[in-house]
Amino acid sequence: MLDKLGNSLKDAMKKLAGRSVVDRAAVEDLVKDLQRALLQSDVNVKLVMNLSNAIKTRSLEEELPKGMAVREHVLRIVYQELVKLMGKGTDVTLGSQTILMAGLQGSGKTTTTAKLARYFQRKGLRVGVICGDTFRPGAYEQLSTLCAKINIPCIGNPKETDALKIVREGLPALSHVEVIIIDTQGRHALENDLIKEIIDINAIAKATHRWLVIDAALGQQASEQARRFHEAISIDGVIITKMDGTAKGGGALSAVSETQSGIVFIGSGETIDDLERFDPDGFISRLLGMGDLKALVEKAEESIASSDFDVNAMMRGKFTLRDMYKQLESLNKMGPLKQIMSMLPMGNMQLPEGVLDVTTVKMSRYRIIMDSMTGAELDDPALLSSSRVQRIAHGAGASPEEVRELLKYYKTMKRALKGVRGGGGKFDLQRMMKRFSG
Amino acid sequence: MFESLKSRLKEVRTRLGNDIGAAAESVDETGPFPEERVNPEAESGQQAGLVDKVKALVKDRELIIGEGDVKDAIDELEIVLLENDVAFPVTEEILDHLKKQLVGRRRKIGESVDSIVLSALKTSLKDVLGNGFDLISYIKTHEHPVKVLFTGVNGTGKTTTVAKVGHFLKKNGFSVVIGAGDTFRAGAIEQIDVHAERIGIKIIQHQQGADPSAVLFDAVQYAIAHKVDVVLADTAGRFHNRANLMNQLDKIRRVMKPDLIVYVDEAVAGNDAVVRADEFEKTVGADAVVLTKADMDPRGGAAISIAHTIGKPLMFLGTGQGYDDITPFSPDQVIGELFSEES
Repeated sequence: MLDKLGNSLKDAMKKLAGRSVVDRAAVEDLVKDLQRALLQSDVNVKLVMNLSNAIKTRSLEEELPKGMAVREHVLRIVYQELVKLMGKGTDVTLGSQTILMAGLQGSGKTTTTAKLARYFQRKGLRVGVICGDTFRPGAYEQLSTLCAKINIPCIGNPKETDALKIVREGLPALSHVEVIIIDTQGRHALENDLIKEIIDINAIAKATHRWLVIDAALGQQASEQARRFHEAISIDGVIITKMDGTAKGGGALSAVSETQSGIVFIGSGETIDDLERFDPDGFISRLLGMGDLKALVEKAEESIASSDFDVNAMMRGKFTLRDMYKQLESLNKMGPLKQIMSMLPMGNMQLPEGVLDVTTVKMSRYRIIMDSMTGAELDDPALLSSSRVQRIAHGAGASPEEVRELLKYYKTMKRALKGVRGGGGKFDLQRMMKRFSG
Repeated sequence: MFESLKSRLKEVRTRLGNDIGAAAESVDETGPFPEERVNPEAESGQQAGLVDKVKALVKDRELIIGEGDVKDAIDELEIVLLENDVAFPVTEEILDHLKKQLVGRRRKIGESVDSIVLSALKTSLKDVLGNGFDLISYIKTHEHPVKVLFTGVNGTGKTTTVAKVGHFLKKNGFSVVIGAGDTFRAGAIEQIDVHAERIGIKIIQHQQGADPSAVLFDAVQYAIAHKVDVVLADTAGRFHNRANLMNQLDKIRRVMKPDLIVYVDEAVAGNDAVVRADEFEKTVGADAVVLTKADMDPRGGAAISIAHTIGKPLMFLGTGQGYDDITPFSPDQVIGELFSEES
């Protein structure tokens, strides 16, 4: 996710770091690279122009803060302007509320509705869902199947054609829950009667939040669509979906600027837990390779007791098989390794291809194998001689090759994590510069 | 569709015409010494030499269009194309094409500037758009059952497209069977089931979670046994960067041996359209492309990008929610539409 935009941004910054003098030409070069990267990510052309002008004028005209090198100054401006582009952070209140989902056809509203329900459920709230999509065949089956898996009530009627009626009758039926999420049919800005329908639904539901769901691949069309939705029901948050593809979500930024709101969540996978809260600061630091420790810690706290998973030890590069075991154990709770790795400050370090793609099935095999190891072996994998490997393989019902494969995987992980170290502060320029120029 | 692109193109065209016209005027003023305007760096290489320029002007009363003459307008065209969702690399290619055609070209004084610009733009776009794909004549000329496999990322409208194409073929007198190969997404089988029932087409389905290859194999067997003309195979949406899902698709391809692989994407997609079209083309291939949700986007830049990248012809455009909202695609028509004089 976001690798490419991140890489081009990082390259641009690296170029700046490599310059002996930071002058007008250097800034202009940087701005040009940034423009290219952002345009390729589908960010609205006008937004990009505004951003690059702001960076240019600020870098050349603003007074240098005391004790700061020109280079750091420019970097800071880039960082700040990019954060500004992301819109303001939005708070998600964990209390009684009604959320109305809106968006284009196929943007992922129904899937996101279920993910959101799961999110609030995990936060300990009672959640109910109303299926207001009366048009697409199978919409109700889709939502109710997803909801049944997580035991959340889903109100709807595949035979009813009047969405307003479903919502009107659904709301009292869900009076006992705290969070009500209303899924709606996909619609686009040029379909006037559907726009009218969502205005009416909004009036009936008196929704606390009206969130616009945007496909990460949406291009320049995003601003226009967002504008119409905003006019109709005044959108107060944007959810980007399908961020697990290669799309970079620039369209969502246009939507953000059009609706004067912020990005609330990011959907990045097909399972019901693949939904992340969005934080502009963290997002940009992650993009620039500075990591997002806040999100990592939050995530860790949510799923695991802190004693289980020592982020700090991991950051120091101390990583034993035991740590890996814990990691695998909490895998389901905490989400895929890839997501977690992206939150670590890695600078421009590249992970070997394929390390993170080990499937869940393999992960559970690994856990079983590690169950057959002794405590000493877990703490110090160097002990594993071929006879020990043999014993472990017997114990776990695996082949010695599999055990060796596990060790190889462990070694790659360890090597990858070694590079991570440091980077405690969110915005540690000095260190970042070193990493960029190194 | 293409409304905004159309009007902006017109502006650029005028601009290009004016620039070239202006260049000609300034040449006229300076008389036989046009070299004063010529950028010395641009002089070398592919540029027409100074001597040639003078010779052409004096002897043949012709002008040679220089790179500087069109630079501003080309820059503007770049922004226009980008704003209309034409992907970055494709934009560059179009501009290159255009530059190559315009720069160094001789123009007789008095020859209409507009017609030169127009024909250059048209050829550039035509090169990029490729030819359309005529499904009906394909089916007529190939052995039945013709097996068509639909692929694409999540939420682009594969299932709806399968239903629409089924309806379109039925209207054209073919018998059709649909294979419900999306066994992953909740509600997908119900969705296509309802569609099939509404348009009166037989559907072959297993339950959710089944192996899609098996479902589609059954669909093909059914078609052979019942002498059905066309098999339309729906699949689950998948991202091109998920190796195992792409492998699954590859298995489907091996098992059902489709005659045509149709890649479905949406007309509102931005730059990523190019990346994923490319990946799908690499892993499973694609013989034709269907662009959905074209009614959402009056610009249609993605259509141009995808058609170009995948190097495969566009077959249909999806233009609405009804079963009839599908239009066979013809590039000549699109180009004609883009440059037709506004009424």
